[in-house]
Amino acid sequence: MYDAIKERVKELLDSGEIKGFLALKNDNGNIKPHLYVSPVETNQLSIGDGETPGGARYPLAKILTILLQNHSGERFGILVRGCDQRALKALAAWNQISPEQVVPIGVACPEERAQACACALPYPDEWLEGEQVEPKDPRPVEWEEKIPLERLEVWRGEFEKCIKCYGCRNICPMCFCKECSLESEDVIAKGEIPPDLPMFHLVRAVHMIGRCVDCGLCEEACPASIPLRALYKKVNNIVETRFQFRSGIDQTEQSPLHKIVEPPAAI
Amino acid sequence: MTSQRVAVLKDLLEFIGIEGERLNLVWVSSAEGPRFAKEMTEFTEKIRALGPLNWNYQRAVAVGI
Ligand code: SF4
Ligand code: SF4
Repeated sequence: MYDAIKERVKELLDSGEIKGFLALKNDNGNIKPHLYVSPVETNQLSIGDGETPGGARYPLAKILTILLQNHSGERFGILVRGCDQRALKALAAWNQISPEQVVPIGVACPEERAQACACALPYPDEWLEGEQVEPKDPRPVEWEEKIPLERLEVWRGEFEKCIKCYGCRNICPMCFCKECSLESEDVIAKGEIPPDLPMFHLVRAVHMIGRCVDCGLCEEACPASIPLRALYKKVNNIVETRFQFRSGIDQTEQSPLHKIVEPPAAI
Repeated sequence: MTSQRVAVLKDLLEFIGIEGERLNLVWVSSAEGPRFAKEMTEFTEKIRALGPLNWNYQRAVAVGI
């Protein structure tokens, strides 16, 4: 399986064009991230087909960011789905990685996965495996239909489930700050569970402006099953409406927060 | 930066059911004492008119808000 990808990775490793290839590995049925450094290992390469096609996902772009920080000047290959590529582009736009160091090899996600992820862009720019499927509608409309008081009640109930594990932040490819506001005692009181409502979640949401690439990893990771995706999709929709900007589409375009503008007369 | 952030946050507050007017951003220099007082008074009045945050909808319904 995945012969085209394996061949390409072998070529890249053999020629020394890349130092390693970051992808997934099927280890006796367990799928996990792995850095391939030798062509012989590539028979274990996985594109994440677990219990469901494409079901095993990891924040590969985040792992790559750390890898590149420790190997400046060297090039690495990486397996990318649509979401991973958006993350790489956004990380480049935020000057966290340099695209010259990255050789992406794409896979297009199967229908089932795109549906499960409610993914608006389930394929990268180019791919060696899979077929292009229709984007899925990503808008959190069902929330908009509720009246404000109901929304407040529902979100309060959701936020209250938070156990402050930081899983959402830790898995997020776009959470790259050295110091995190969510750990600042000036913002969020220490030792309280649930964390300050709705501060904890709003701080994270505001920090996702111009960053979130809508990969959905946060919601997948949340042990409390908080519908984080709806919150960040809303952030993205607001940013798109107000600033005509979508994170992870064009790696040369800076986020609207980077632009100095005159404060509007009324906000 | 701040003005863009605050604009988005206002929309986001509305989304989770909190009135966006509860958040206000104005630029006032330290030389504008009277203006500062005016802004603060107006904002306080606005918040007073909005009343406390309805954190608990069930309770709000029960007490007839
Ligand atoms: S969907 Fe969640 S994990 Fe993915 S970029 Fe947005 S906030 Fe981060
Ligand atoms: S992953 Fe879920 S429970 Fe953990 S901190 Fe984030 S929102 Fe809270």
